[in-house]
Amino acid sequence: MRAVHKIKSNSTTRFIFFIALGIVLFLLSNRVDELRVYQGAEIAVYVIAISSLILLTGYSGQISLGHGALVAIGGYAAAVANINFHVPIWLTFFIAVLVSALFGALLGAAAARLSGPYLAGATLALAVGLPSIANQFTVLGGEQGLTFDAGMPPASLGEDFTVYKWNFWIAALATLAILWLLQNILRSRYGRTWRAIRSNDVAAELSGIAIGRSKVLAFALSAGIAGLAGACLAMLVGTVSPSAFPISLSFSLLTGAVLAGVTTLGGVMIGAVVLVAIPEIADAVANRFGGSESVTSNLPGLLVSALLILTVLLVPNGPVEQMRTIRSRKGVASHH
Amino acid sequence: MYELINTTLIGITSGSIYALMAIAIVLVWRSTRIVNFAQAGMALLSTYLGYEFIRIFHSFWIALPLAMVAGALVAALIDLVFMRLLVKHASQGPIAAVAPIIATLGLLGVIRAFISFFWGNQDLAIDSPISNVGYTVGTHTLAISPLKLAILIASLALMGVLTLLFQRTNLGLALRASAFAPEISRLAGVRVDGVRTLGWALAGAAGAAAGMLQTPNGTGTLSPDSIEFSLLLVFGFIAAVIGGLESLLGAVLGGLILGLVLAFVLTYISGSLVFITGFVLLIVVLIALPRGIIGAKGARRA
Repeated sequence: MRAVHKIKSNSTTRFIFFIALGIVLFLLSNRVDELRVYQGAEIAVYVIAISSLILLTGYSGQISLGHGALVAIGGYAAAVANINFHVPIWLTFFIAVLVSALFGALLGAAAARLSGPYLAGATLALAVGLPSIANQFTVLGGEQGLTFDAGMPPASLGEDFTVYKWNFWIAALATLAILWLLQNILRSRYGRTWRAIRSNDVAAELSGIAIGRSKVLAFALSAGIAGLAGACLAMLVGTVSPSAFPISLSFSLLTGAVLAGVTTLGGVMIGAVVLVAIPEIADAVANRFGGSESVTSNLPGLLVSALLILTVLLVPNGPVEQMRTIRSRKGVASHH
Repeated sequence: MYELINTTLIGITSGSIYALMAIAIVLVWRSTRIVNFAQAGMALLSTYLGYEFIRIFHSFWIALPLAMVAGALVAALIDLVFMRLLVKHASQGPIAAVAPIIATLGLLGVIRAFISFFWGNQDLAIDSPISNVGYTVGTHTLAISPLKLAILIASLALMGVLTLLFQRTNLGLALRASAFAPEISRLAGVRVDGVRTLGWALAGAAGAAAGMLQTPNGTGTLSPDSIEFSLLLVFGFIAAVIGGLESLLGAVLGGLILGLVLAFVLTYISGSLVFITGFVLLIVVLIALPRGIIGAKGARRA
């Protein structure tokens, strides 16, 4: 009984925590300038995309080097719905999630048969191949892409309420909703099933878990969330085009997931903030030391890659998990 | 009719370059169980070094073997200072399965950035060492030129040398043994770590050859963000997986099949579907033959 009570109060605490976080973000967005608001929205998009990758790689144990492709599907689905069917903005997000989840289920059915390196290569090939399909079909707008107009903020919010702030609100709301949802799913039966498969698939199968089905479910859910990130990205940038979803986007997302600690959702903010902050840090460093043009343009890539390598070497399970391990070790030590 | 012949010829030429790249990926996979996504970066770096050798010696055919040696050294260095450390540190816990993949991706980024630091972002040209104008039969121009013929011969020669090395020498035996059963090989007196580094070095040389040959065959220019090298990475990987990741022969077959399929899609369907065709081909082969054309069984005997 006590355990049940504890779980219940935990989920209430989490809900209250998320509401509080939302209010803090809302207050913050009124304080800082436009650029920071835009970057805040970028971070929100990355948080959504990275958490979808953490769900897939960290919890269900399937790697994806092509999550950018799923983000692209979401972005395109939202834009096509927006242009051709004139549906309200919230519905385009919903469509984006649905379409990419459906695609993810198909992909997941193939992926469930593939292991480690095979899956990595297949998703990599997808990320390289998928965006160029847009050139084949006129409804997808070719190389120029499609515009995505999320509309102006409602007049009731006042005159000086900018589009950036409106976009940030939508993205932040989507992020909070997704994180709250994921927290609960990962603590549910499904989350435990995925972790069981990741730790030992033979043992999991012997305990009666349908491995294939759970893997496909994880892939579909992850793809749906990635699709939501795509719709948010389309809203921020205002367009979708093949060049907006390069292979480097997929690599960035994976980098973010590794920096965040791929096995826990707890560090997801770290990954997203680092991805958004690095170009700015690199800029500042290059300006300080008066680097040439080739240094300035390549420093972000170098920093990201170096961070990736260092993380894998030094804290392979991510900073949050590492701290938890250290703390639990200390706890054990003090008992003795 | 001529279109059909030309498409086949193009497919075979590009397929043989994919095959070289696939061989490089297979060599590392066989000796270390790591899929090296940095292979394209290493090939690009070797090709840049080859560009410097061409400037010094004024000959593509002298620079090619030198670039391969340089590629081998770079690869061996990467294994010595980086991959060994990684295997030691990140081989436990839930990350173990994905850590090598992620680490080689990081390596790819670092190599790219270094290339840009040293050579800048502008395009560098590697001129075709011999004519790239196709032979003519009557009034038709065939899609095979002296250069393409040379590429084909060079690729086949390299594949032949590597196959002989693996199948007919003691060194090849040690390479195969330490991949298949490292512990037993160690007991039998094989220096497994050294042999692994050698596997990386061979892969570096094969990748360098692919890069050096692809550049004049393609646009003739080198740049850090070269799309052709992303293609080499992806298509080389697809070819290796189609071939089963385990065997050199499989890598060659995979490369040729991929080259031909892509050439036919390019000619008869649409240029913008080429990339996604690679993905579809990979998925179809993997679902039909999960262990590739030449599966694990054959490779273990090999």
